[in-house]
Amino acid sequence: MNPRSPPPTGSVSVECGKLQYSSHNWRGTQQRAVMCVCVCVCERERERETYLPRRRALCGGCGGSRALDSGGRCVCFSGTMSPVRALRRCVFLLLVCVRSVCALDSKASLLVAVEPEDPKCFAEGMRDLTCFWEEEGSRSPDDYAFTYMYQETNEESSKCALTAQSVGGSKTRYICRLPSVQHFVPLDVSVFQDGRLIYNRNLLIDHVFLLDPPANVTVTQTGEQEQLRVCWLPPALMDMENSMMYEVEYAPTGSHMGKRESVRARSEIILHSLQPDTRYNIRVRAKPDGLSYSGYWTAWAPWVSMTTPPAEMDLLILALCVVISLILILLSLTLLLSYRRFLLKKVWPVIPSPENKFDGLFSVYGGNFHEWLGVGNRGFWWSPTFLLVEESPSPLEVLSEAGFTAPVPVHPMPFKALGLSKKEVEEDERTGGQDSVLMGRRKGKAHPHWVLEQLQSLDQPSVPCCELHTLEPSDTYVSLNYRSQQDSGAMSPLADISEESLPLQVLFESPGTPTSFSDLESVTYSSGSGEISSQSSLEYPYGAWPLKGPSYISMTVTDSGISTDYSHMSWGTTGLGDLAMAYTNEYKNKVPAPRLPPHGHTVYSYY
Amino acid sequence: ILKTTYIFILLFIWTRLGLPSPLRPICDPRVLDRFIKEARDTEFAMRSCSEGCSLAEPLSVPLTSVDFAIWEKGDVSEQAQEVQSGLWLLAQAISAVRVSITSTALHSLLDNSHSNIHSIGQVIRSLNFPEYTPPADGTVHEDTWRVSSTLELFRVHTNFLRGKVRLLLSHAPACRRDST
Repeated sequence: MNPRSPPPTGSVSVECGKLQYSSHNWRGTQQRAVMCVCVCVCERERERETYLPRRRALCGGCGGSRALDSGGRCVCFSGTMSPVRALRRCVFLLLVCVRSVCALDSKASLLVAVEPEDPKCFAEGMRDLTCFWEEEGSRSPDDYAFTYMYQETNEESSKCALTAQSVGGSKTRYICRLPSVQHFVPLDVSVFQDGRLIYNRNLLIDHVFLLDPPANVTVTQTGEQEQLRVCWLPPALMDMENSMMYEVEYAPTGSHMGKRESVRARSEIILHSLQPDTRYNIRVRAKPDGLSYSGYWTAWAPWVSMTTPPAEMDLLILALCVVISLILILLSLTLLLSYRRFLLKKVWPVIPSPENKFDGLFSVYGGNFHEWLGVGNRGFWWSPTFLLVEESPSPLEVLSEAGFTAPVPVHPMPFKALGLSKKEVEEDERTGGQDSVLMGRRKGKAHPHWVLEQLQSLDQPSVPCCELHTLEPSDTYVSLNYRSQQDSGAMSPLADISEESLPLQVLFESPGTPTSFSDLESVTYSSGSGEISSQSSLEYPYGAWPLKGPSYISMTVTDSGISTDYSHMSWGTTGLGDLAMAYTNEYKNKVPAPRLPPHGHTVYSYY
Repeated sequence: ILKTTYIFILLFIWTRLGLPSPLRPICDPRVLDRFIKEARDTEFAMRSCSEGCSLAEPLSVPLTSVDFAIWEKGDVSEQAQEVQSGLWLLAQAISAVRVSITSTALHSLLDNSHSNIHSIGQVIRSLNFPEYTPPADGTVHEDTWRVSSTLELFRVHTNFLRGKVRLLLSHAPACRRDST
């Protein structure tokens, strides 16, 4: 019934509280007007029916009256909005107004504190400029005139429309917003009050930037100790992203000692050297860097909090300390050990003792050098004596209790020994150093024929028969010992000699083995020296003469119990008797056979 | 050997720079930032200029104003032409001023400014902008302004570098392609 929607003409203005809202001409297909309804014209004009604003509407009944045939028509008329819509619109506009006013308020207050010149101007973006000043009283903005002119251009001065805003009760703020701006040219601004110039200022718009604070400030942990990363969005203005510098302020929650860090051209920063496990408050502000663009510090962004990660270093430090202390302890122990010997040497110095040089001097003879000389060190000590021995060997005469009438075969050994002794002495004279052979070897061979055999095998001139005697076991006799190198087994009997109290023993051993005395340790030395010099052993055949080594004449003397002192012998030095004494015990041990003369001793002489 | 190699490399670079062949685009903003700093220093120095700083004849200088609403929609090659002609004008003006100024300290600053303008021209050439040929008669068709003092001249000089030249270089297509 209403196919057509006649276009209403004209614009209507609707009162919405105190704000004026102009609606555009409704064209039926465009944006809706405040109130456009299709009205059915009824017979009776008073009665009208209203419908929701639509482009087309059906006319219904006229409330009793009959609708006209011409149908309805859309009429936009002024009138109050539907309450809900009006409220919604008002609120929206209010918010818009409030927001801009609020923003201006904060920036204005910021600028008032910083900028001394009037009017205070700032640019929020690349295409605007806002200038304002504050005055006491509440005069109308029409009393003022705001003119501006760009210098170094061919433009004329222009005027700006002022708006007024009440501030803080008594003051009024007069605001001018330039519609378009030009950068990089000086701007000359003048304010006239009642035709009189009150303010004049020359400024560059690109030098008065006052932007919004950095948005979207986020603080995150970096994963490292004592660090936090702060990120924010740079201002979304063309060409400004690379020309900004920022300032970050951070402080632990509750503390008033904030630290500031500056950042240039980057929109993030990592804060270092923070306290672990602490909650920090951080805020950021921005400013153009001053090279191409300049301006004022923005307002601080709202505080953002983040907690730093807790300290984890203690464990590491503890482990390091433990390791280092262990190393130090080890080092000190090592030093102490190596130093200890030195320390001991320093604290308890080893008194040098000549014991190792003098065999048995202190241990056997108790320091008696004379005694020791007679037994021990035969080498060169004996050499001067043996020189004498060489020079004038004299026959050895032994006095014994027993007779010498024993047949030769019975006691071949002593017989032989005697004979040999003389012979050997003579031979020594002749050879001048050749070794003599032990005649009375008794080691393991107590055979009465042993000596005879030895004698027979001996490649020596026969011993004068007259002097051969048979000796009883208790007879004292002297036998010459000879030792060769090959004998090593003969050493053992000598070594096993136990200490005996018998004064004289027959020893057929070589002096290579140690001949120990009861209370003296001359065995070692005698054996040692015997080793050096005595090349003979009990096992040596009589014929075996040592070809090298210091030759010596050893004499084995058997005794029934009487110790014989041979010190009077020409070639026996003072020590000879001792030497003889030394081996008294030896023989007993060495000679297992009881038939062997229990007493006897070997006298060794070296030269 | 190191020294000769170094010298050879320097010579090579200089010859490369001097050639009119296509140069590598100079996109580092710090290059122009340095020139801007020096222009500012020269402007500050001119404030203390006492003798010979008033020009007998006004000099033509380019317009420095930038309306971002218009500039963003402008043609890049036109802007390049505008910038290059402006630089040429400034170079002419600085050469003229150098003659009249007697202070030797300011002479060094003027020479520095002149060489900087020449360097900026090379930077613009490196960005593959069409080359600008100065008009034969010495007048430019773009709008100009006339200054009557060296202080004004160098203020214009600084504003020109900070504004149009910097905008041109920072939004050069050659640099944008490189930086991807």
